[in-house]
Amino acid sequence: MISVKNIYKNFGDLRVLKGVSCEIEKGEKIVIIGPSGSGKSTFLRCMNLLEEPTYGEVWVDDDLVTPVDPYLHFDVIRASRTYAEKMLAARQANPEKSEEALDSEIIWEIKEKDLLKKHEGGAYNALIKQIERENSLNINLARQRIGMVFQQFNLFNNLTILDNITLAPMKLKGLSKAQAADKAYALLERIGLKDKAAAFPQQLSGGQKQRVAIIRALAMDPEIMLFDEPTSALDPEMVGEVLDVMKELADSGMTMVLVTHEMGFAREVGTRLLFMDDGQIVEEQPPKEFFANPKTARAQDFLSKVL
Amino acid sequence: MNLDKKIEVFKKSLMKGTKQKGYQRVLQGLKNTATIAVLGLLIGIVIGTLIAIVKVIPKRGWISKTLDKIVTVYVAFFRGTPMVVQLLLSYYVLFPLLGIKMSSLAVSIVVFGLNSGAYVSEIMRSGLLSVDPGQMEAGRALGLGYGMTMWKIIVPQAVKNILPTLGNEFITLIKETSVVSFVGAVDLYSVFNYIGSSNYEFMVPYLCMAIIYIVLVLIISGLVKLMERSLRASDKR
Repeated sequence: MISVKNIYKNFGDLRVLKGVSCEIEKGEKIVIIGPSGSGKSTFLRCMNLLEEPTYGEVWVDDDLVTPVDPYLHFDVIRASRTYAEKMLAARQANPEKSEEALDSEIIWEIKEKDLLKKHEGGAYNALIKQIERENSLNINLARQRIGMVFQQFNLFNNLTILDNITLAPMKLKGLSKAQAADKAYALLERIGLKDKAAAFPQQLSGGQKQRVAIIRALAMDPEIMLFDEPTSALDPEMVGEVLDVMKELADSGMTMVLVTHEMGFAREVGTRLLFMDDGQIVEEQPPKEFFANPKTARAQDFLSKVL
Repeated sequence: MNLDKKIEVFKKSLMKGTKQKGYQRVLQGLKNTATIAVLGLLIGIVIGTLIAIVKVIPKRGWISKTLDKIVTVYVAFFRGTPMVVQLLLSYYVLFPLLGIKMSSLAVSIVVFGLNSGAYVSEIMRSGLLSVDPGQMEAGRALGLGYGMTMWKIIVPQAVKNILPTLGNEFITLIKETSVVSFVGAVDLYSVFNYIGSSNYEFMVPYLCMAIIYIVLVLIISGLVKLMERSLRASDKR
């Protein structure tokens, strides 16, 4: 569904993600936990490019949505002028070494020292262009397949609940007003808020807003849903109603990626858990095993604080 | 002269005049003041909107970066110099050099428009920036484009912040029109000044002038308050 390849994210001098990779398969419910500042929200937001990774690639199915990262394609590195120069020098210096050994050494060196910064010549550019031509997809099209739910709900304050839900399907999927409204009412029915269709977001409680935000994303028929701490901004008594909707969604087979502090929910619903710390994925396990016996010291420390 | 007499003199001079009677001059001045302020604001809104767009859109290519530099200089100039200076520069330096012949009233309107554009751009920019960034993110996350999200989500919310402030800008413009007599345009100030100097008696005319300004401003600020209230009524809680 989504595959994230070796992404780095810097905010100025602050390095938030330091080489994170993840393959998300259809039907998985991935839970991302970790201490605050560990980069888990940034990681999630990189999946639909709300944050653009500094390095690395994000693929949605077979479509590349970030610019090509030359370091992830050995052919591209090999087509570079730097590689050619290094190879020539290395062959003369170490004639006894095999071609493969030299090749991997040089590729490693170029990657490690970030040597592809300068203009790299025709063959290199042609390869990059070719990869882009064959794989690149406009991010707006990819986002239509990726639903997202935010911590702060982010319902459109100037639109009614109904318009919040129908806007994107009408503009992007060409649904008529009536079709979109039918769909919206069906979804509102599902979360028991049909009577709020004409209300404005300010008139709803936090829990109601978040449930609407979930179905607003669902109205686009996404293939995968991203949740960025969906219950963190809620009053405690409203957490349950939102988790119920998410549970139902999970049971219906939706592919989900969830950043959360709700450990109970993570254990119950998650099929795979990523524990992040300091911009990296430190541990990756099924949630039940992770909570029963975390392997790394950092995970043990974290769990001892939150459980 | 006692006050009664002064009022008597003033009343007389309102009725005097060969080509134009005194009160007709006053009406003329009032009309010009209103024209300069209204047209100035309209031009200002157009220019301000364009500048705000340049300022707010993400800067990627060299075109948007260059445009951004240009409008930054523009705003710095018009906010950094007094309106009088801008008027004098335009009327006596810039327009003659460019070979443009315009009446002093027309020049005043243009300069007020250019000046107000700089201020309005800041009003609009801060109005747009005051909308929660989460709104843009939510739109983009659904797959809506930048322009579409701006138009459907951000702008309607920003307008609520922008409109009342625009009213205040209008009030500022009305008061500032009193400087157009520097280039010979006839406005409220210059007609009362004319009446005063023709009788060597300024007390009553200037008092009258002040009252007219204050009444104008009170009316407009009343309208702005009404508008604010009706805008706030729409975000019912």
